[in-house]
Amino acid sequence: MNSMQDLLVGLRRAPGVKGAAVLTSDGLVAASALDAACNADALAGLASYLLVTTGRALREGAMGGCARVTLHASHGKVQFVDLDGTNLVVLFDQFADPAAARREIDDACSRLRHLQRLR
Amino acid sequence: MNLLQRIRVWRGLKRLEQRVRKEPAPNTFVDLGQAHISLGMHDKAERIAEDGLALFPSAIELRHLLECARRGGRRKRADELQTKLRRGPSPKLYEELAALHVEINDRVGLQQTCHEWSLRFPGDPGSWHALAQAHLVDFYRDLSACEGADAVRCLDRALCLQPDDRRSLRLFGALLYRIGAVRLAEARVQRLVRLDPADAEAAALLRHLGGLEDMGDDVAQLLDDVQRAGALRHPAPSVAARAPEPSLAGVREGLTAVAGIDGVAKAAFIRGSKALVKGDIRDGRDAFLRVARVVAKAGQRFSRRLDLGTANKTVVEGPFGVVCVCVYGDSLAAAQCKEGADVDRVLLELQEIVAGVLVGVAR
Repeated sequence: MNSMQDLLVGLRRAPGVKGAAVLTSDGLVAASALDAACNADALAGLASYLLVTTGRALREGAMGGCARVTLHASHGKVQFVDLDGTNLVVLFDQFADPAAARREIDDACSRLRHLQRLR
Repeated sequence: MNLLQRIRVWRGLKRLEQRVRKEPAPNTFVDLGQAHISLGMHDKAERIAEDGLALFPSAIELRHLLECARRGGRRKRADELQTKLRRGPSPKLYEELAALHVEINDRVGLQQTCHEWSLRFPGDPGSWHALAQAHLVDFYRDLSACEGADAVRCLDRALCLQPDDRRSLRLFGALLYRIGAVRLAEARVQRLVRLDPADAEAAALLRHLGGLEDMGDDVAQLLDDVQRAGALRHPAPSVAARAPEPSLAGVREGLTAVAGIDGVAKAAFIRGSKALVKGDIRDGRDAFLRVARVVAKAGQRFSRRLDLGTANKTVVEGPFGVVCVCVYGDSLAAAQCKEGADVDRVLLELQEIVAGVLVGVAR
């Protein structure tokens, strides 16, 4: 069976994906396969801020939680997927289409959820 | 602080950081910020206050924390600059120190710094410019003729030393315009435009000045008139020269187009405190509007801090369906749609709306 790290390394082979990480909701890095230029701790803290803020606004508006957030910025794209307590963060380059890697991401998510259940 | 005390303090900080993550509330952010301030880490405290304000924009205690952190940080920087100036004085360091004195409203410190600056560098107009700025802050706040006259004196001195000092010309032009000395203001702004023909702000002010009535050249009398009336004759140049609000007719058409896409339940355009809505939105308290604002703001902060540039599109998926948010400048367009809707088309339409507003010709 693949480890969390192997799954993330495998995910980097998907089209346009620059890196991936599994982060806890309180901003810690559980596993990561990122470029040396990307600071995993900074990513974890900022991702935690973004997801907590968004989740809070949704809950307060009685809209439920958020399952997936995709952010398009001028120098890159980021997708966050909720994994029940942890989050998968996938970084793309600015020209990538996150929809093209959706199948690989969904596949990695179901394997990561399975791994989490086993732990 | 010995090692043991240091470990204790860091443990305390860690505990507070965890509390902020687990129970985000204004008081938890304030506790964490204050702990950083007491350790002299004002820049970190400032960031904590900003993060807190992003979540709780109306929390007064967080605004106080931000102000306290900024003030403390500036005082620290002022002390550093004073030490550097003792070792090797330079106009650049004096300029930074004077700006800090103005920001923390330390008038005595500013007078001392500018006095020292003008003695060491008598040909530099910077000290007079900095003093003029401080007088202008007070003049615009209290409308006191005395402060206005002092500002005029300092700006005159700065321009005597360097007639092409653009910063002083800009301040002088704006002051003269605001008190009604239109002809005198025009002369300063014209010189500013000649010095830099690409200065759009000055060019817009010059155009605006062309259509105004001149109230005379007696600056002292005009300052007295302002003090007596308790109001300036003209609004700030930035307000006067501002382009008219773009037509919202195009935005309405854009929202209608978005709402017409299959599966779209709500659509909105938000700019500042104004919002135009289409679809199933009851009032301004609709959760979708708040979510759109929060998502846009959090996305901007995330991408800026992670060096990803400007966040312009965000898609949030959940049990409510899909919320699409598109941001350009200070305009935001958002839509809530059911799962399975054509999200790419929705994003494209939203992008058209905000881009149209940005260029002032909304579709």
